[in-house]
Amino acid sequence: MVEEDSTKLRKRDLLFTGALWLLSLILPDPHLPYRRELIKKRDLFYLGGVLLLPIVWPSSHVHHLMVLAGIYAILALGLSLFLGYAGQISLGHAAFFGIGAYTTAILTTRYGIPPLAAFWASAGVAAIFAYLIGRPILKLKGYFLALATLGFVEIFLVIVRETPDLTGGVIGIFGVPWFSLGGFQFDTYFKQYYLVWGILIGLILFSKNLVRSKMGRALLALATSEDAASSVGINVVQMKVGIFVVGAAFAGFAGSLFACVMSTANPEAFSLGFSVLIVMMVILGGMGNLYGPIAGAIFLTWLIDILGRFQEYSLSIYGLILVLLLIFFPDGIGTRLNIRLIYLISYWGRKKRRETKEI
Amino acid sequence: MTPWAYIPQFLSSGITIGAIYALVALGFVTIARASQIINFAQGEFVMLGGMITFSLLHHVGLPYPMAAVTSVFFVILVGFLLYLLVIYPLRKASIPILLMATLGASLFISNSSSIVFGPLPKALPPFSGDEPFLIAGIPVVPQSLWVLGATFLLLFFLYHLSHKTLLGKAMEASSTDPLGADLSGIWRSLMVFFAFGVSAGMGSIAGILITPIFYTSYSSGTLLGLKGFIAAVLGGWGKNSGAILGGFILGIAESVSVAFIPSGYKDAVAFIILLLILHFRPKGILGSPFIDSRRW
Repeated sequence: MVEEDSTKLRKRDLLFTGALWLLSLILPDPHLPYRRELIKKRDLFYLGGVLLLPIVWPSSHVHHLMVLAGIYAILALGLSLFLGYAGQISLGHAAFFGIGAYTTAILTTRYGIPPLAAFWASAGVAAIFAYLIGRPILKLKGYFLALATLGFVEIFLVIVRETPDLTGGVIGIFGVPWFSLGGFQFDTYFKQYYLVWGILIGLILFSKNLVRSKMGRALLALATSEDAASSVGINVVQMKVGIFVVGAAFAGFAGSLFACVMSTANPEAFSLGFSVLIVMMVILGGMGNLYGPIAGAIFLTWLIDILGRFQEYSLSIYGLILVLLLIFFPDGIGTRLNIRLIYLISYWGRKKRRETKEI
Repeated sequence: MTPWAYIPQFLSSGITIGAIYALVALGFVTIARASQIINFAQGEFVMLGGMITFSLLHHVGLPYPMAAVTSVFFVILVGFLLYLLVIYPLRKASIPILLMATLGASLFISNSSSIVFGPLPKALPPFSGDEPFLIAGIPVVPQSLWVLGATFLLLFFLYHLSHKTLLGKAMEASSTDPLGADLSGIWRSLMVFFAFGVSAGMGSIAGILITPIFYTSYSSGTLLGLKGFIAAVLGGWGKNSGAILGGFILGIAESVSVAFIPSGYKDAVAFIILLLILHFRPKGILGSPFIDSRRW
């Protein structure tokens, strides 16, 4: 009897510890001296905007677009940790997105596993693949890293097309069930909007903590100079693989949501063009900034939707716009506009503060 | 029949496609030797070469050699424009931005050419008949010999350019030591400009040579460009001889692989070779003048 009680207690302890650990990833660390900065007024303003948007603008097309933008934003957020903070290029996140989507599609349609479990499994599978692929290729840099990750995407696509028993081949898998949570079905774009953006907000909080953690500082250091970083005792390879795995897990979450929202998974969605799109989201949003990739994702999703009206011209206009944006906004639209807006809006405030300081 | 019986035939087709990969790889290497930039729109030059020749031949009605030469000039013009409009404004940008800009340009070129020339795949007539003849019992298409001959002619031209002329020396200097090149009065932007022209010309010649054998469609450039880059990395990044060697090895490996694995996996072979070479010997088979073995 006594033994049974103790095991029960231990199990519960384990559960509590796990829950606390999960919470600690999202909540601010009470030991950090700068914890008050974690959530600023600006963040609450953005949060209010996100929560109110579908109520203020009740159009199902807008809801659908914003669901897609939220999914892409999760993906771009993961990549921005790798590209913006650690300074490495990856064109391979489309593959992790695809792995996430296929894991969810296969688990839910073939094995009847509930979407929530499949959601976590997708991130896990994507992370395992990222670890396996990351170990050998992350010693490369620049163009060669980009090419190697691109090669991974191509290999993934070929395998998907050539194993129709598992992945449905070129046609893909249909009939992925809606995401459901304890019997509550996310079956309209309105509900999915809150699901996707809720997950995105959780992941932003996680990334904010990560960036402020020891690992985040180490990443910023190794982005500047790997030699200098390793000379102060940072394990460069471990850090790079770690952030690659985290980015891939984000991509797995996004892929799983994508499969649930679109209710299909097919190889057309995960090609080279898609990889370019994700990297563009990060670059256009401004690198080294957590809100940048989200702004980039929203901007490019709307742009593609608008360009869809030009039919056969849409892709060449898209290429042209990408090049023009890169030439005129190489640091991202957000960065340049932000700088100007800050100067315009907060000029008066800073002037006042400066005057009071001088007195 | 066992797969081994088909090997000679796969070898001969592998050498042909290998020569094309080698030409594309030479295009990459030419630009890299002048500026360390990697132009991911290189494959689109190949596609444009075939497409423009086809439309000059069938819609304008020029004779075949005239159409080919004119299209090479057009593609060189496209290469110059690409440099002036995309690369030159971004010459100080970081690697991810240059990479994305050339990929965006490649998207623009391929989709515009689908609007201009139509989305259907095109085929040119062979240069000298399509009657295959036997060499040591293996049927060979005459076009393959044209491809091989042109590859070696262009290799000779490039060798002469980069080792025997002042222009070639200046191009190489502007890549290996930009400051030194500036100090000795080399106009670096002009050198890169010329390198884009040479590389576009080579790409278009590859396109004209390949279109009689493999169909060229608006979207075929991207994959060819990637495989050309893989060939250049495989042989030794930044070396003309490495590009040629890598091209042939890649072409032969791809064709021969069809004998042993399902043909759908053919496109993955190049990328698996790439991952292996990048892991075990990042500077390529012949070694690379640009890659310090420790840091890459």
